[in-house]
Amino acid sequence: MPVETKPVALSDEGEKSTHLAAPHARVGLSGPVIAVLALFSLVVPLLPGEYPTIVGVEILILSLFAGSFNLIYGYMGQMSFGQGAFFGLGAYATALLCRWCQAGSTDIGYPQFFLALLLAIPVSALGALVVGFFLVRLTGIYFSILSLAFGELLFYIVFSWYGFTGGDDGIQGIYPPALLRDPHYYYYFTLAIVAAATFLIWRITRSPFGFTLRMLRDNQRRTAFVGVNIRRAMLLNFVLAGTFAGIAGALWGPFQRSVSPSLLGWMQSGTPVFMTLMGGADFFAGPLVGSLIYTSLNAYVTRFTVFWPLTIGTIILIIVLFFPGGILSIIDGRLARNRGSRGA
Amino acid sequence: MRKEILQVTGLDKSFGGLHATRNLDFELFEGDLNAIIGPNGAGKSTFFNLLTGYHRPDSGTILFDGVDITNRPPHEITRIGISRAFQVSNIFTKMTVFENVRSAVQAQMGMAFNLFGNAAKVGNDRTEHLLSLCGLSDKSTHIAGALSQGDKKKLELTLALAGKPKLLLLDEPTAGMSLEETRETMGLVDRLNEKYNLTILFTEHNLSVVFNHARNITLLHHGEIIIQGTPDQVRSNETAQNIYFGEHH
Amino acid sequence: MPSDVSSFLIQLFSGLSRAMMLFLVASGLSLIFGVMNILNFAHASLWLLGGYITFTLYQVFSSVFGQNGFLLIPAILLGTAFMFALGWLIERVLIRRMYARELPEQLLLTFAMILIIGDLIKLVWGVQNRRIFLPIEPIEAFGGFINPYLFIVIGCGFGIAAALWFFLHRTRYGKIVRAAVHSREMVSALGIRITAIYAGVYAMGVAIAAFSAGVFLPIMPIGLGLDMDLIIQCFAVVVIGGFGSILGTFVASLIVGIVYSFSVLIWPGGALAVIFLILVTVLIFRPWGLFGTEMRY
Repeated sequence: MPVETKPVALSDEGEKSTHLAAPHARVGLSGPVIAVLALFSLVVPLLPGEYPTIVGVEILILSLFAGSFNLIYGYMGQMSFGQGAFFGLGAYATALLCRWCQAGSTDIGYPQFFLALLLAIPVSALGALVVGFFLVRLTGIYFSILSLAFGELLFYIVFSWYGFTGGDDGIQGIYPPALLRDPHYYYYFTLAIVAAATFLIWRITRSPFGFTLRMLRDNQRRTAFVGVNIRRAMLLNFVLAGTFAGIAGALWGPFQRSVSPSLLGWMQSGTPVFMTLMGGADFFAGPLVGSLIYTSLNAYVTRFTVFWPLTIGTIILIIVLFFPGGILSIIDGRLARNRGSRGA
Repeated sequence: MRKEILQVTGLDKSFGGLHATRNLDFELFEGDLNAIIGPNGAGKSTFFNLLTGYHRPDSGTILFDGVDITNRPPHEITRIGISRAFQVSNIFTKMTVFENVRSAVQAQMGMAFNLFGNAAKVGNDRTEHLLSLCGLSDKSTHIAGALSQGDKKKLELTLALAGKPKLLLLDEPTAGMSLEETRETMGLVDRLNEKYNLTILFTEHNLSVVFNHARNITLLHHGEIIIQGTPDQVRSNETAQNIYFGEHH
Repeated sequence: MPSDVSSFLIQLFSGLSRAMMLFLVASGLSLIFGVMNILNFAHASLWLLGGYITFTLYQVFSSVFGQNGFLLIPAILLGTAFMFALGWLIERVLIRRMYARELPEQLLLTFAMILIIGDLIKLVWGVQNRRIFLPIEPIEAFGGFINPYLFIVIGCGFGIAAALWFFLHRTRYGKIVRAAVHSREMVSALGIRITAIYAGVYAMGVAIAAFSAGVFLPIMPIGLGLDMDLIIQCFAVVVIGGFGSILGTFVASLIVGIVYSFSVLIWPGGALAVIFLILVTVLIFRPWGLFGTEMRY
């Protein structure tokens, strides 16, 4: 790649200079760390036992979920408490078509399975379009409240529509086809999809539209007064984020072999919020790192205690109070100090 | 005969029964550098808000460059060619100065919804040109929110210019500026007008700025035009002295 | 068989009582937001905690003094006092640190409190629902039977609403609180410690919520998860009424409470959807609420 000579604060330049790069312009992880993480992600299934692989699949899926949320939060500056709705819509779309294709059996062909996964895209996008139509009229506290409210509304619809969604029983016995039933294969399958989707999100955040989102975050009035239809921009982003959440949800059901209404609930909507906050919303890699820590912690802690909400609530409290930028900002700050002391 | 660029007829807007502008007629010609003055609450801000679509008029029409822009939203009016710099700067605080301007430039190019291009590769030349025009080149890598007040107002003006306006509205462009910054800013305003033939309309409290730079002055009071004319005409008008200058001396 | 008129009236009273609870919780939410600019996501969780504490106090009193329905009164008062103190403590320890922060962080802090309070309740009281049985006979009224306790609940609601109005408009401290909604500088200029106001307002909001939870114990069982249902309905109330307007909160509570109560009768699963319809309608035509003031981006 040619070296950028313009005085634009790009991520790579930002890593080198201490105070000049804009927040949100950074990846949050240095090249070598990314390389190590990428390499590690490839060998996870080789670790002994199935458990690391299973947790690995969850980390991947939830990092895409959290990444979708951060398009709304970190880039556009609105806090959504209803992102679980689109994760759930995607999960249900895939699960329902899978069940229909399985027709009572546990078998499903590859084409049918991929079609079921693809169905999550239009369904979650449509859901986000409808919810977003109302939501983008609002900002700040109103946006947050209404996103939570819409999330709960969709939850109740799925919860009480027994005939179609199975109500609070959810849908059981959803199977991926042949090879993908092995968690190791499913891991690589998920890795490929999540990596591709994450790359797409990365491109979006670097695109002119990505900067439209940053404009919306920093100053909505000025954004309108440079000639951007701000509601339309917010709606497009909301639909994109909802779609990526839906893709994450689509991968979830066949892996867990079931879906339930709680996938649309407020606790599910809180998950990407917590992850992003833990990792650091100012960084592209924040949601990913957050998912890594949150999901690993969850997998470990829930072996010992049923009081996971108490645990995670306390952790969030501590992070909000004392480390508001998340883990990556602690690392980033330390790096910046080190560079400063060397007189770089 | 110069071309008429803005034609406002019978513009009316009231808030809760109070008229902010009352049956206002107003026009601008291409290349004008005019000012609107008036005591606080005279309707200057409301007039700007109506011109840019921030408020909807109760009645009246606004024709701009032959297009009826009455009731259009701000983003459309901006794209049609009216840019606005606010009194309190509205900038993108967490981005660098360069990113601020480049994003505005890309919006002007109609790329605001471009999903897969590389933002870092588009509009850089024009961004640099605008920054050097407004004297911000050496600040281009600074975070906008950390700039001095004077520089924030410069950036505000730069963002307005990024829209390639045919008409530039400036709301108190020198408010809060030092003498030096005021001189610099108004010098730029003059240059934009003379060199680029940009039509400019500004409001200003600092009367020496108004009389030194505006060619035509409109005095508003209670939402109505009291007098319109050259600086000398306005200065010597008795009504104007009573209602406006009286308050200041 | 009760006549249509009587079932209508009974439903109306049940709706009114529901409206009172919504108002008592939402008014605290609205007041805290108005004064400190903090959206207290955990407000309904504190309401729930207040209910459990009152329940336990009632149990303790009953075991000491023997079964007597009137023991509920000291239990509610003591529970309310306890929650006032807890609210004060939470403001001093947690909320206070968030005033200078950005909105999302403020939301997250109180969101985390929901998780913690919910799990603490599970830890102490377990997962089964709790309620208090009072030996009250339904009385015959309007050609049907109605629990007279409903009238106590509605009376309490109106009483607290009136007291709150009196406090805000007729007392010195209340006027200071209202002044704080408009200008912090003004309050500081009066030589009043704004920090004490903040702690007081937060504690008062929590206490009113806890009070309503206690009063409702004999007619509505409390259980885990109720806090989320309630907070969302309270958000609907506050948004419909307009943030910061106590009158708006009151009117919106009546609307939501009564509409909910009647929709449950007609379409049990869709009551929440009906409230949403109102919420969305208000947001489209008056995003700032029925009694709020307009703002533009």
